[in-house]
Amino acid sequence: MAIRANPKLITELEIYGAQDVSKCYHCGNCSATCPFSKEPYIFPRRSMRSLQMGLEAKLESDLEPWLCYYCGECSVECPRDAEPGETMMSLRRWLTARYDFTGISRLFYLSWKAELLAVIIVALIAGAGFLLYGFSQGNITQYNGPDAFLPASSIHIFDWTLAAVLLALLLTNCARMWWFTVGRDTKVHVPLSAYVRKIYLLPTHFFTQMRYARCEQKRPWAIHLVLMLSYVTMLILIMFFLAPMWSGPAVKWSVHVFGLAATAGLLVTTIIFLRKRLKKSEVQYQHSHETDWMFLVLLIVVAATGLVQFTLHRLGLGTAANINYVIHMMAVVPMLLLEVPFSKWSHMAYRPLAMYFADLKAEEMVSKAREAVGAPQAA
Amino acid sequence: MRTGVYLCQTGTGDLDAVNLHSVVSYAGNLPNVEMVKDLGTMPALNIETLAAEIRANDLQRVVIAGDSPGFFKPAFTTAMRNAGGDPSEVRLASFRQHGASFGIGTVRAKSVLACATFGVPYGLAAIPDTTATHPGTLVIGAGVAGIQASLEIADAGKQVFLVERTGTIGGHMAMFDKTFPTLDCAACILTPKMVAVGQHEMIDLMTYSEVEEVSGSPGDYTVKVRKKARRVDIRACVACHACMDACPQRAPSEFDSGIVERKAIYMPFPQAVPNVYLVDEQSCTYVQSDGAKCGVCAKKCPKGCIDLDQVDEIVELEVGNIILALGYDIYDARKIERYGYGVLPNVLTALEFERLTNASGPTSGKIVTKTKRFNKRTKTDEWVFDAEEGAAPASVAIIHCVGSRDANHNAYCSRVCCMYSLKFAHLVKEKLPDADCFEFYIDMRAFGKGYEEFADRIKAEGTFVVRGRTAKVTEQDGRMVIKGEDIVSDRMVDFPVDMVILAVGLVPARGAGELARLLGIQTDTDGWFSELDYNSDPTDTERGGIAVAGVCQGPKDIPDTVAQAAAVAAGALKSIAIGRGLDSRASVPLSEIEARAADLTRV
Repeated sequence: MAIRANPKLITELEIYGAQDVSKCYHCGNCSATCPFSKEPYIFPRRSMRSLQMGLEAKLESDLEPWLCYYCGECSVECPRDAEPGETMMSLRRWLTARYDFTGISRLFYLSWKAELLAVIIVALIAGAGFLLYGFSQGNITQYNGPDAFLPASSIHIFDWTLAAVLLALLLTNCARMWWFTVGRDTKVHVPLSAYVRKIYLLPTHFFTQMRYARCEQKRPWAIHLVLMLSYVTMLILIMFFLAPMWSGPAVKWSVHVFGLAATAGLLVTTIIFLRKRLKKSEVQYQHSHETDWMFLVLLIVVAATGLVQFTLHRLGLGTAANINYVIHMMAVVPMLLLEVPFSKWSHMAYRPLAMYFADLKAEEMVSKAREAVGAPQAA
Repeated sequence: MRTGVYLCQTGTGDLDAVNLHSVVSYAGNLPNVEMVKDLGTMPALNIETLAAEIRANDLQRVVIAGDSPGFFKPAFTTAMRNAGGDPSEVRLASFRQHGASFGIGTVRAKSVLACATFGVPYGLAAIPDTTATHPGTLVIGAGVAGIQASLEIADAGKQVFLVERTGTIGGHMAMFDKTFPTLDCAACILTPKMVAVGQHEMIDLMTYSEVEEVSGSPGDYTVKVRKKARRVDIRACVACHACMDACPQRAPSEFDSGIVERKAIYMPFPQAVPNVYLVDEQSCTYVQSDGAKCGVCAKKCPKGCIDLDQVDEIVELEVGNIILALGYDIYDARKIERYGYGVLPNVLTALEFERLTNASGPTSGKIVTKTKRFNKRTKTDEWVFDAEEGAAPASVAIIHCVGSRDANHNAYCSRVCCMYSLKFAHLVKEKLPDADCFEFYIDMRAFGKGYEEFADRIKAEGTFVVRGRTAKVTEQDGRMVIKGEDIVSDRMVDFPVDMVILAVGLVPARGAGELARLLGIQTDTDGWFSELDYNSDPTDTERGGIAVAGVCQGPKDIPDTVAQAAAVAAGALKSIAIGRGLDSRASVPLSEIEARAADLTRV
């Protein structure tokens, strides 16, 4: 079968952040340093090679970028300063754009202006929409009760509608990911039974990120886990417990304890990540893509306005709480609508899926390899 | 002589540093110059027009000026002939050839042009004033480069002062077992040369000495050399080793790269030149206690030639030329923690392995792994090479590019490591045919005559040559586990071996930087001495009368080192032969060049 090479791929990846791929001279230090690099998934050197050769189709079907957590060891040890860690990060961005059938993701990664513009437009539409809706049926001074500006029941319906749209987009992209990486791979056929047998891997990887914990440094994993769990807690609260959070002076602490803890978790971890990216003291935070900044800024705005919202609500300042709520939604809606399916947030779906697919494929590949050749020669 | 100047460029951009307008107006004011014409870049030359111009102006000489004026010469020569003039009077003023591409560009271009209009070679008018050369030559460093250069000059009957920091001449080459790619015994090549140096009537050998101060100008340098207290009379000592047998103190042997110990009074190795003992003041009890303790060697010496209270002596030398042949040090493998050198017992540097496999080494050339032994003096376990108890390694891994070609260490290629690593594989296979030998390399740089064939031979001998540098060496059950990636077969490498040899790269010798400051010469960013011109003047430095040979100018192997040493000797002999110190750095002012050129036309 003929292999098509795209010689411009390496230049294209530069916009995604991989600036130094051509420096690599393939000594293999990175692959040997990486704690995750195990057969049949040896990386990052192979990905560097594929990039240098412009093997677009191969890279598209690779799961390796998702198996890397960017601890930065490879970039530190690299004798050529070729930044293999950053290359894997850039490949994840590129793959996100590839999986997305709408092309929006690609647009965001290639042009930060487009992303910013989209965020602003969605924010403005959301703000205007909520204001119009509020004034059409409620009183801006009222936060609760029958005359509420933005009643919890309406917001709840809006939330679920938004969730449905997001889920549809994300699932389509995930399906494309499956097709690229597993489905169309003629060499490895994964039986249906394996999919069922290993399905437990999906929630395990999603909730524990146990692979990340195997990196040499444990702190990044811990911070990341806190951020992810805070986010999921908040999501569950909003999707299922919006009404109790909303309710008036009588505080339902069971809900609020979780809410405050999650908010604190989000704020603290976001600030830590922002600081690290600003200080650039660690290799994995030295190269920040515009999408990374957008992600963190939206997140910190959402968490901060959420906290303000809680305070105003408790203090009984109805008008201020309603205005703040509109601002809060102006950050939440673009964050969910744009970041989750099209940008950095999508990795919460792709990463556990990649682990799952990788495990399935590896099982098949290893058993096949055993049939084909003997054990590698060693001393 | 009526002269016309034509300015023609080839458009290489080499004249960006030259103000051509200034050059054109300068040319117009030169005596004899009748016309100046700027033809621009790559002009389409019409021979008939040119001939008509030459005739109209009655030109007797045509000067083509520009970056590469020779390119246009045929057209002008034909035009000159057609116009009835003398074709040999078409002269070139080549700015680029005479170095007008840098800061001095415009002035240099004017000088070159002026000389051409006078019909005088630029080089003849531009030789700077020089001093008479002292016939003596100082050679610093007595490795193979210093030895070769000294012998070349001394054999020509000129005086050489050879200064060496350690107690013997020979340098690193004396430590080697074999040379690549011929697998000659290194000592068999070097020791006759060492002996010749020791016995040469024209070589004043100063071992255990260092250059302290240099003053003067090319052709006439005054050098102060500190002859460190050897504490043994060179003329009287007969190397009977009575002192060494009596000495109670020990220190790691420098010559055996520290894998075995020597006494505080020692001879670096049995074939040392001069073949006499010396006292290491760092480990000598007598010296360290200011004469309060020990002193047993002086009592035991049957010739009474040990003077433990001897002090350093400063000698002053007058020389015309200085040759630097400092050699190198090896990269400190401890800096690369992941290879475990200094922590794991059987991780060796290349020099340690050279001594281990050398028939004159501590194990008499038997390749063994280290044995654990209790040291009664320090009360600790230590790993030592023991020819009797040590086991022969069943597998040996050689890791290339240690400290070289690495942005975190040295970016440059050390040039010799690939080849000596292959040589090691051969030596292992030769002595232990059943042992597995692995070479882990990034790129196999077998670049010299017979080197590629040597690499093929090693592969044919059964050495596993694996592309992919090892990333890590760890220990497991007393064996060294190497981790890396095999790039060709796309597999991870992760298996234990008995011995790991690190092919460490070369770094400038200790003290090279200070010496460069002392002499007023440049070093490059890596610390190697800078030559005047990489291609055309690879031995001279920018300070006249000071030249470089061997690895101190940049990593190179023995054949290249010897060749450069001979070349540098030729340079010194040239300066002695013409009796002038050549200062390549000085430049002559433009007015002086004009005057000299005009002067030279009259001769």
